[in-house]
Amino acid sequence: MINQYLLLSATLFTIGLIGFIIRRDLIVMLMCLEIMFNAVNISLASFSYYGGDYTGQVFVLFSIAVAASEAAVGLAIVLALVRATAKNHSDEINWMKG
Amino acid sequence: MDLKTVEQAFFIYFYISLSLLSIGVIASRNIIHSVFFLLIFLLHVAAVFLLLNSEFLMVVQILVYVGGVLVLFVFAIMVMNIKEELRHRRFVKFAGVGVGVSLLFFIVFSSLITKIKIEPDNVIVSDTKILGSLLYSYYLLPFEILSLVLLIALIGGILIAKKYPRESK
Repeated sequence: MINQYLLLSATLFTIGLIGFIIRRDLIVMLMCLEIMFNAVNISLASFSYYGGDYTGQVFVLFSIAVAASEAAVGLAIVLALVRATAKNHSDEINWMKG
Repeated sequence: MDLKTVEQAFFIYFYISLSLLSIGVIASRNIIHSVFFLLIFLLHVAAVFLLLNSEFLMVVQILVYVGGVLVLFVFAIMVMNIKEELRHRRFVKFAGVGVGVSLLFFIVFSSLITKIKIEPDNVIVSDTKILGSLLYSYYLLPFEILSLVLLIALIGGILIAKKYPRESK
């Protein structure tokens, strides 16, 4: 049934969200973003499967491409940050005093 | 054993292993261990796509994530040469609040999920030909815009990560 796939998707999204909030390392935070992207992709594919429509699969393709470009730009930003300040923890970067 | 039971058994295996692997990604102390947990996680997600009759997505998942994104992560870790995570603490100060907010989100979300009813009257068959013709006819404009997005991400990634020479005063 579709409910079990959606429950799987919600579980993985929650674990990714927990990791994104509580980890300090910037690269592990990006990995948690990938986990959340994958959870949403599973739910879109299950809607496509049980709804009998191919649009969900096309959307998953677009989502995978956007996730790839997000990882490239995010890792480039982290690399530039580490090169400029030698810090790779999210709670050490607090110069804006938000 | 009929087909339904086998599918259910595979689903239960994938549920447990995907949960354990993602917990391994967020809880392991060494960052290389996180990357390898993420590798097995992505391969399991590809298998879930196969369980959902979408073969093309499985191939794209393995090609793009395992072959592209994960290699990018490994290269970034190698370039940054991170070793000091073993000595520092892993989590932020307000980690308990983060876990609480996420679990609240999960409870609300799963209570919404259990209400969804979709009868599988016309379950799709696996057909990459229909997907390709849909991608090149109805979704042609988003497809072309996506190539532009990838080009911009490529140029932007190179420009941000470029090593600038020190400016002399």
